[in-house]
Amino acid sequence: MIELVGRVARETLESFGEAGKLTAEAVRSTRDVKTWWPNLSLQARKLGVDSLPIGILIALFTGVVLALLASYSFTGAVPRYLVGTLVQKTVMMELAPVLTGLALAGRVGANIAAELGTMRVTEQVDALETLAYDPIAYLVVPRIMSGIVMFPVVVGVAMFVGLAAGWAASLLLLDLSSIEFLKGARLFFDGFDVRYGLVKSASFGFAVTVLGCTNGLKARGGAQGVGASATSAVVQSAVMILVLDAFWAMVWLLGRAK
Amino acid sequence: MKKRSNDWIVGAVIIATMIGIVASTMYLQQSDIGKKRTGVTARFRDVGNMQVGNAVVIRGVRAGRVQQISLAPRGWVEAKFDMDEGITLPVDPVVLIQASTLFGEWQAMITPRSAAPPIRDVLDQLADSTDAPERSLPGAVLPDIAQLTTVAGGIAGNVASVAERVRTAFSDSAALELRASIRNFSVLSSDLARAVRVQSRNLDSIAVGVRAGISDLADASSTLRRTISRVDTATSDGQVRDIVAETRRATANMAEASERLNTLTRSLETSEADLRGAIGKADSLLGKVNRGEGSLGMLFNDKSLYRNSDSLMIDLRSLLADFRRDPKRYISLKVF
Repeated sequence: MIELVGRVARETLESFGEAGKLTAEAVRSTRDVKTWWPNLSLQARKLGVDSLPIGILIALFTGVVLALLASYSFTGAVPRYLVGTLVQKTVMMELAPVLTGLALAGRVGANIAAELGTMRVTEQVDALETLAYDPIAYLVVPRIMSGIVMFPVVVGVAMFVGLAAGWAASLLLLDLSSIEFLKGARLFFDGFDVRYGLVKSASFGFAVTVLGCTNGLKARGGAQGVGASATSAVVQSAVMILVLDAFWAMVWLLGRAK
Repeated sequence: MKKRSNDWIVGAVIIATMIGIVASTMYLQQSDIGKKRTGVTARFRDVGNMQVGNAVVIRGVRAGRVQQISLAPRGWVEAKFDMDEGITLPVDPVVLIQASTLFGEWQAMITPRSAAPPIRDVLDQLADSTDAPERSLPGAVLPDIAQLTTVAGGIAGNVASVAERVRTAFSDSAALELRASIRNFSVLSSDLARAVRVQSRNLDSIAVGVRAGISDLADASSTLRRTISRVDTATSDGQVRDIVAETRRATANMAEASERLNTLTRSLETSEADLRGAIGKADSLLGKVNRGEGSLGMLFNDKSLYRNSDSLMIDLRSLLADFRRDPKRYISLKVF
């Protein structure tokens, strides 16, 4: 039992250490622009553009549910236009970044880990090194870059869709007027809400891609090892998203609240 | 071709998303790009919870928004407002910051000074900011629900304190004393009722007297009314004018008589003075006589003279009797 705890702790720290080491190598490899630049748009499309449908779908239902939940919760003296306030604040600052991040952690993190793991176990990575290609610059940097850039794009679209879905649900299901919903949405709206959500999603993109690459590149032992690395990447990415969510709230929101 | 297609799609998605985010943000912030705006500055000692972006309203209608809030020298807070195009400020405008909802939303209301609420603190703030040397609208912050709640909390605390004191004061002994007091009060009430009954009877008799007095007054009033009626009648017949004329003549006669009386009085005063002098002299003379000074005094005060005179009178009376008895003895009448 004690041995198990010690092994889990060591492996966790090893994972963070490997992720940190990979990040440092990726930062160094960004100088090799010719190697990573041609792959950037492909990875951006795979990680970002192709993830838009899942992000939109999540935001769509999240916006509708939030509007209904707000209407259900706000009774008595609470004015109904606060439905707009709740939808705007919650979608932009929390649900769009976190839910989209978790969904992309599954889709993107597993994809990266499985792809790189397969390349590792089939010795394609070794082949790249043999051909004098920097595998970090060729495989890791474009994915991390794409994750940092495209996660905010997907989350931005999710924000817009979530707000629109909440608006539509308020009009169609709650008998709330557009004026009331917009009054509530504008009541406490601040440009910071958007910045906070986008910066947070960029950090999620960085964490998901780095953990996906780390777990993929350390895959061993064939298909089983690839599956394990994919699973590990998803789990670690999901945990890291929640940790980063709390981190940004403490660092940024707490400071503004004071 | 595939790579170019990827580039185009990714670029399009990124640009479209950025445009969408910026447009949504501006829409929610109600930004007005290209709209001509007027700047208005106001000064406050405190701006409460007002923040940049809050609404500026005139007569309840949104007319702009708070653009900037900054600290100014000498303890001022300066707020700049972006007013919508075509907005006209009221006469003698002041800016009142207040909570617009119970949920933390604040607004700046531009209103005529005469419409400011008659709260001493608010009026003091307005007067204070009016005296500011720089040209800007005077401003004040109205108390929000939190301050009112604080005051209410203080009142509630005081009430609780009073209630606690009452609870402490009403101990068992205090209750017993209170019961005794109530009993005493009952006795006192019955005494008072008895006294009231007695006084009521007295009042009844007084009321009868008052009623009789009022009746007399009514009679007198009626008499007076008749008299006045007669006076009215006399006035209408011209008799009063005759009476007045006669009275004037009588008054003149009385004045003349009075003048004579004055003259007579002055004569009397002179006579009185003379008389007083004569009496004084007589008194002095009599005093001297009494004291036996002078011839007359000696004459009056000498007892021997009185006795001699008395014996003289006796002798004269006997002589006269003798003369009556025998006149011839004393009178010898010879003719020829």
